[in-house]
Amino acid sequence: MKNLKTPQFSRRGFLVSTAGAGVAFSFLAACSPSGETVTEPAMPAGDPEPEVTYEPVKWYTIDNNGIVTVNIIRAEMGQHVGTALARILADELEVDWEKVRINHVDSDPKWGLMVTGGSWSVWQTYPLYSQAGAAGREALIAAAATSMGVAAGDCRAENGSVICGEQSMSYGDIVAAGMEKTFSDSELAAIELKPVSERKLIGKPVKSLDIKEKTDGTAIFGIDAKLDGMVYARPVLPPTRYGSTVNSIDDSAAQSIRGYQQAIAIDDPSGTTSGWVLAIADTYPAAIKAADAIQVDWTPGPGADVSEEDLQARARERLADTSVGAILDTGDVETAAAFDSAETIVDETYTTSTVLHFQMEPVNALAAMNGDVMEIHTGNQWQSLVLPWLASALSMPAEKIVLKTYRLGGGFGRRLNGDYAVPAAIAAKQLGKPVKLVLTREDDSRFDSVRSPSVQRVRLAADADGNVTGMEQHVAAGWPTKAMAPFFMPAGVNGEKFDPFAISGANHWYSVGAHRVRAIENDLANETFRPGWLRSVGPGFTNWALESFMDEAAIALGKDPVEFRLAHLTGEGRQSGSAPNAVGGARRQHEVLRLCAEKAGWGKSLPADTGIGIATSFGQERDMPTWVACAAQVHVDRSTGKVTAEKLTLVADAGTIVDPDGALAQMEGASLWGLSMALHEGTAFEKGEVKDRNLNTYTPLRLQNTPELDITFVESPEVPVGLGEPATTIVGPAIGNAIYQAVGARLRHIPITPQAVKAALDA
Amino acid sequence: MANIKVNGETVSVDAEDSTPLLWVLREHLGLTGTKYGCGIAQCGACTIHVDGQPVRSCTYPVGALSGEEEITTIEGLSEDGSHPVQQAWVEMDIPQCGFCQPGMIMAVAGLLNNKPDATDEDIDQQITNICRCGTFARVRKGIHLAKTKKA
Repeated sequence: MKNLKTPQFSRRGFLVSTAGAGVAFSFLAACSPSGETVTEPAMPAGDPEPEVTYEPVKWYTIDNNGIVTVNIIRAEMGQHVGTALARILADELEVDWEKVRINHVDSDPKWGLMVTGGSWSVWQTYPLYSQAGAAGREALIAAAATSMGVAAGDCRAENGSVICGEQSMSYGDIVAAGMEKTFSDSELAAIELKPVSERKLIGKPVKSLDIKEKTDGTAIFGIDAKLDGMVYARPVLPPTRYGSTVNSIDDSAAQSIRGYQQAIAIDDPSGTTSGWVLAIADTYPAAIKAADAIQVDWTPGPGADVSEEDLQARARERLADTSVGAILDTGDVETAAAFDSAETIVDETYTTSTVLHFQMEPVNALAAMNGDVMEIHTGNQWQSLVLPWLASALSMPAEKIVLKTYRLGGGFGRRLNGDYAVPAAIAAKQLGKPVKLVLTREDDSRFDSVRSPSVQRVRLAADADGNVTGMEQHVAAGWPTKAMAPFFMPAGVNGEKFDPFAISGANHWYSVGAHRVRAIENDLANETFRPGWLRSVGPGFTNWALESFMDEAAIALGKDPVEFRLAHLTGEGRQSGSAPNAVGGARRQHEVLRLCAEKAGWGKSLPADTGIGIATSFGQERDMPTWVACAAQVHVDRSTGKVTAEKLTLVADAGTIVDPDGALAQMEGASLWGLSMALHEGTAFEKGEVKDRNLNTYTPLRLQNTPELDITFVESPEVPVGLGEPATTIVGPAIGNAIYQAVGARLRHIPITPQAVKAALDA
Repeated sequence: MANIKVNGETVSVDAEDSTPLLWVLREHLGLTGTKYGCGIAQCGACTIHVDGQPVRSCTYPVGALSGEEEITTIEGLSEDGSHPVQQAWVEMDIPQCGFCQPGMIMAVAGLLNNKPDATDEDIDQQITNICRCGTFARVRKGIHLAKTKKA
C-alpha cells in the first residue's frame, strides 16, 4: 500500500520535505519482549479475537466483528489526542463510536514524520483521517452493493452498516466476506467528504476514552515501564550541558550503599549527553544515593560561568547590532521612512526570564536490546528527531532502533527533545541488560531544555494624525530549532536563517504600514544550554512584548487599548487571510477581541486597585492561526505589590471544534500555564545552570491561585486548528495590561514579582 | 525485612528503613499508580493514605511504620474505581495527562475523610498538589461534586 501524503499546507510541506531530505531514517518494527506497549482501548478489553481484518489505509483496520482500530501516531500527554483524531475518522467512516478502539503505535518508518507539538495534531490529521474514513466508507459501500446485487449509488452507510433499500449488511460481515480495496494517494485526494451538516461525531460532546484508567492507577506512563532483569540508573550530570569530559570517577563512597552496582561514563559519539556518568543500582533509591556519593572530575565545556545577567546582556548586545539576524517576510519591511517622518515614536523594551517545563513526570527511558534491535520504552514527542541521535550514539542503523510508546506525564515540549533516551540506550548496550534511567526532579530541572530568556525591542511610528505608519519588533533569544533541528530553519528576506518557533507571533495580523520583524539568535544561550520548545515557544514571549506594547502605544496615542487594536485588525492586503487555514484573516481576530471585551465588561467600573487588561493573538503561527483573546481581571495590593488574578475571560476561534470538552480542557490548561509563567514561575542561570531545581524555590501555580475561567468558542465551520498552546500566549500580557489599568504601574518583564510591582508603583 | 499492610494485605518487604515508602510501593510491590514527582513532599503526586490520612510517600521512610497501619494506595482506594472522588473525576473528565491525578485523588479523598463538607477555603489550604496540565478549575468543581456522591 502506498503511504498517504502529509497535508501540503505551506510550512508543513516545507518541514516534511526538508526533514525527509536531511534525515534518513527507516527501521523495522520488532516484537516487545514484555508486552508493555501502551494501547488505549476505547472500550474495556475483551473484544473477541478478529478472524479477518481489513486495512483500507494504514491509519486503521476494521475486523469481522465491526471493531475499528485507529492507529494514532501522536503522543498522549493530556490532550486525549486519540479521542479527537479517532472521532474525525469515525465520522466519515459512519461507524458506531462504541466500536472504535485507539492504538498508540510504536515508532516505525511507515508512519512518516512522528512529532507531537505546535498544537498541530488535529490540524494536520484532520484532512488525512477525513479522507481515510471516507475511503473506507466508499469501499465498504461498493463491496456491499456488489454482494447484494444493487448499484452502489442506491446504498448509504450508517452506524457501521451499509443500507441498500430494504437490505443491509454490517461492516463486520462485509469484511468477513473479504475486502481487498486499497487507495492510492490520488484516489484518496479525490474522495468526497461529507457535508458539515451530516457530521455525527465531530463537534458533538464525547467523554474522552482514557479517563478512567487515569483515576484508578492503571494508566502506565514511561516511568512505570518494567522489564525482567533491568537495573536502575540515575545520572551524575556534568557541569555544562555541552562538551564536558570525564577525567576520573571515584565511587568509593558509593560502595557501601546497599544495591549499588557500578558507575559508568557515557561515551556518546552523538554528543547529545557528553560527560554524563550513570550510577547503576538494583533499585532507584539506591541509584539516587549513589549518584550523590560518586565524585567525578570533569573538564567542563563552554558556559560554566554564565549567569542570567550575562545572557540578557548578550541578547541586548546582539539586539543593538542591526547587522545581525533574519528579517521576516512581512510585506513592506522598509520602516526607515516611516520612523524618519514620524510625529510620534513609541519605543519600549521587554524581557522574560528563563522558564522550566517542570512536567510532573521527570524524564526517563528504559532501554534494552531485543535480539539485534534496541528497544526504548519512553514517553516521547518527536520520535523522528531522536532516532538519528540514537543511531549515531549507538553506532547502530536507525532501522534497528524502536521507540516503544507510552503515555507522557506531561509533555509541554520537554519531550520533543528526547535526549534522555540516549544514555539509557548506550548503557543498555554496554551492560548487556535492560537499563531504566530516571532523572530526579533536580536532575530534570538542571538539564531541562528551558525556555530561553528573551529581550525584545518594539517600536511604532505614527503620523501627525495619530495614524500608525510603521512598526518594528526585534527579538533576541536562544533558538531551540538551531540546537536540535536546524533543518527546520527557513531563511528570512535577507537570506539569514532563523528559528521560526522563536519569532512567531511578531509577524502579526495588525495592519501597521511598513513592518519589520527581526529574529536574532542569542548565541550565548545556545552555547550555554539546550534551549527548548516550551508550550507555545516564541509566541509565549513575542506576544508578551507585542501585546504589552499595543497597550502602551494606544495610551501614548490617546486611544482606548481595545479600540486601538480593533482599528488595526482590518484584514486588508496580506492580513486578509487565505483558504483553507486562515479564511477571514484578521477579521476573525477582530471578532474574538470584540467579543472578549464585551464578555468581560471592558470599560465597566471596578473596585479600587482592580483592573481589566486585554490581549489578543493568532496563537502559534500564521499558517495555522487560532484566533484568541483574553481579558484578565486582577487586583493589586499596593502595600505588598501582590497581584491576584481574579478572572480570565477567553474567546477562541479555532475553526471546527472536534472534541468540545477536550478543546475546553486545552484552553483551560493553556491559559493557566500562561498565568503561571506570568506571575509564579521563572528562574535564572547561575554559573551555567538554573538556580531553581525543585518546588522549594520554583513555585508554579497551585489550586489556591487559580482564578475563575470563562471560556467561549466562536462557532465556525472552518478548518480545525490547534488549541494546546494559543491561550498561553495572551494571558501574560493581559495580566500586565490589567495591572496598569488597576494601579497605573507598567511592567515590562515576566515573571511579574510583587517587588517589581512595588518598584513600578514607587517609580 | 519489614511487614507492612497495603490495601488490606500484609506483605513483607526487604528494604532499608530509610527507604521512602514511595519506592517500596512502586518497586517492591509493583503499585505504580503512586507517582514520583519532586521527592521533597511538595507536589503531592505520591500521596497515599496511612490510616485514612493523606501522606506524601516520597519522604515517608518505610522504617517509620510499625506494620499495624493501614496503607491505602490509589489501587486500593476502591475495588472498581467507584470511590466518590473517582466517580466525580470520571464524570467531569478531570485528568489531562493524568500523572498527578492518583495523588490528587488521594489528597482529595483524604480531605473528604476529614471534612466531608469541605469548603473552598479548606480546598485552598489542603489541596496543594501540583498539576501542570492545569486541571485546577475542574478539580475544585470535582471536589464539590464528590461531596454529593456515595461509594
